[in-house]
Amino acid sequence: MNNEKKMNEKGFKATLARFLTNEKWSGFTVPLFCIVLMLIVSSIFLLILGKNPGTAFISFLAGNGMAMKASYGAGSGMLSDFFQFLNVMAPMLLAALAFIFAYRCGLFNIGIAGQMLLSGFVASITVGYMKDLSPWVARPLVVLVGIVVGAALGAVVGFLKYKFNIHEVVSTIMINYIISYLTGFFINSKFVDPVSRASKVISPASRLTMTKVLIGGFYCNVPLGIIIAIVMAFVVHFIFEKTVFGFELRAVGSNRNAARYAGINVGKQIIFSMMISGILAGLAGVTYYLGYTNQILPKTLAGMGYDAIATALLGNSSPLGAILASMLITVFQNGSNYMSSVLGVAKEIASVITGILLLFSACGGFFRFVAKGYLDRLEDYKAAEAKERARQEAEKKEGGADA
Amino acid sequence: MSYINNMIIDGLAFGIPLFIMAVGAIYSEKSGITNLAVEGFQGFGAFCGAVLATLLSLNTSLGGQTILYLAMITAFIGGAIYAILHALLCIKFRADQVISGVVINILAVALTTFLTSQISGVLYGNASNKFMLGVSSRFSVPGISAIPVIGAIFTNVYPFEVIILIMAVFLWYLMYKSKFGMRLRACGENPQAVDAAGGDVAKTRFISVMISGGLSGFGGMCFAYSVLSMFSPSIYLGYGYLAIAAMIFGNWNIIPTFFVCLFFGLAKAGGNQLCLRMGLASIYNDLFMMIPYILTLVLLMFFSKRNHPPKAAGEAYDKGKR
Repeated sequence: MNNEKKMNEKGFKATLARFLTNEKWSGFTVPLFCIVLMLIVSSIFLLILGKNPGTAFISFLAGNGMAMKASYGAGSGMLSDFFQFLNVMAPMLLAALAFIFAYRCGLFNIGIAGQMLLSGFVASITVGYMKDLSPWVARPLVVLVGIVVGAALGAVVGFLKYKFNIHEVVSTIMINYIISYLTGFFINSKFVDPVSRASKVISPASRLTMTKVLIGGFYCNVPLGIIIAIVMAFVVHFIFEKTVFGFELRAVGSNRNAARYAGINVGKQIIFSMMISGILAGLAGVTYYLGYTNQILPKTLAGMGYDAIATALLGNSSPLGAILASMLITVFQNGSNYMSSVLGVAKEIASVITGILLLFSACGGFFRFVAKGYLDRLEDYKAAEAKERARQEAEKKEGGADA
Repeated sequence: MSYINNMIIDGLAFGIPLFIMAVGAIYSEKSGITNLAVEGFQGFGAFCGAVLATLLSLNTSLGGQTILYLAMITAFIGGAIYAILHALLCIKFRADQVISGVVINILAVALTTFLTSQISGVLYGNASNKFMLGVSSRFSVPGISAIPVIGAIFTNVYPFEVIILIMAVFLWYLMYKSKFGMRLRACGENPQAVDAAGGDVAKTRFISVMISGGLSGFGGMCFAYSVLSMFSPSIYLGYGYLAIAAMIFGNWNIIPTFFVCLFFGLAKAGGNQLCLRMGLASIYNDLFMMIPYILTLVLLMFFSKRNHPPKAAGEAYDKGKR
């Protein structure tokens, strides 16, 4: 007993440990802990560069219309910035949901970037370049194309896994690059805009973002994708929590063999979950390439396809958590331009901050494990202490009897 | 004839650096750590080398080739140090190895892009996103290089190709003939047995991942000094993933992987030459670049039963597990 360090059950460490292991809230507290760590580390990073972290974080917010900028251009204001923020957040949330859907079933969909690119490409060349289409027809068609292409790609990956036992990480990486080169070839040979070196601009009617809408005296780019994204987050939540199908998916994800013995058709679940994951990635693709932007850079996989993994991790792979997580990551990604102009730091620092956040999120399980270990030791210590006290008391009593 | 010669020369110049990256991936995976981080390792290593090369060329009067060798050593060390992060996440913090790999890649792209613009801003006064490096000098073996076709192997060779082949022989010996190598492979198949026999699983894996990072960094530097002639974010072209494809194609063994890398290199260079010969625009190269990826997928479809990834790869070592 004596050789052990004195442990305080009401101290800071113990409080933090309880905070992290709390059964009801740990899905929320662990990401929060990661965010705090990220803020500390990136503040240190900024201080080393000789910049004020406070100014940096406020200008990140200002870049997203959540704080006032020093000055605004004609016809734009906080509201325009906020809508731009929603424009980025919509594909980010959908892509994160795509990762979560597969992840909950024990599958890694690393191919989100490729699925986004192909669905965006197909939607652009089919609907996007069609002339004289009413927006009421074009926009639903774009969404439909995104769903179909994404579903097909996801199903292929699921099928390869089920039928040929090819690990989905391997097949999605291969498919990513095949798609990147294939679409790059077609864009460069058929659909290139000679000035921008990207694909030709799609028709405004097919774009899922309505540009230059006058709201409250400001011109805003209103994304329809954000509605799809939030609705999908609740749909995914509903599927997982309230349906038999979702329960079976989670069962396959937590223990494949147990699920098989329980009579669940594992192969079917794998194909379905990859297919739905593909659908969500396809939706992310059309909201990104036919919403946030209106053209495609050839041979470039969107970094968002990988950032979505960060978002999903940070959101504790829960669909509703992903809404909050995608807001946070988007604040950094979208606010980087303004932050860069205010502080004079290269805007890539936003990606560095996201990377640091990712690093901590990946260790979330470890934090929980350490906290739990600490609490267990605390329990042991308390028990040992109580025993010691009882022994001393007994000794005292004995001593009293002798006298 | 010159088309075939060019194809062999370019194919080797591309395939051999790819091979050393694939060997790096094999070292990590054979020890039981899934390695999707090759892309990040090679970029970070090349970044370290490029910074040193730029500093040396600005401040000293060293010759280009001397700087190149120093840069390559730095790239090896830089890659190995960066790989500690992957090793820590996978071994100490027991993070998911696939996720850790993705994290490492994202962080490498972000960090190197950011630091490149910061450092070039300090060195040159205005920030740019690249360090110009130039191309390594090449040599031809007199006599042999005059032989038709086979001579092409000895024509216009980058010195690093020779270094890589020597390293590869040593690495092959280390993995298949030494005690360390046997332990390393056992860590990937049955870590419990290694532990029972008195080996240190965590330490072996840690060293393997660092070797992996160093080799990847070296490979990245070779690309920076040949195909790209600079360091810029364009180094993240996906060659790291191509190396992983080669490793899988080569069934996690060094010698088959060597031939796969040569094949990938020749396919790419052959595509280029074919485009030139048929007078096609360079965009048709993209179609040839798809070949390695498609082949890997198709091969896996037919042979995935015979493909043997290390059994314990992807799992954190758990002493209590049976």
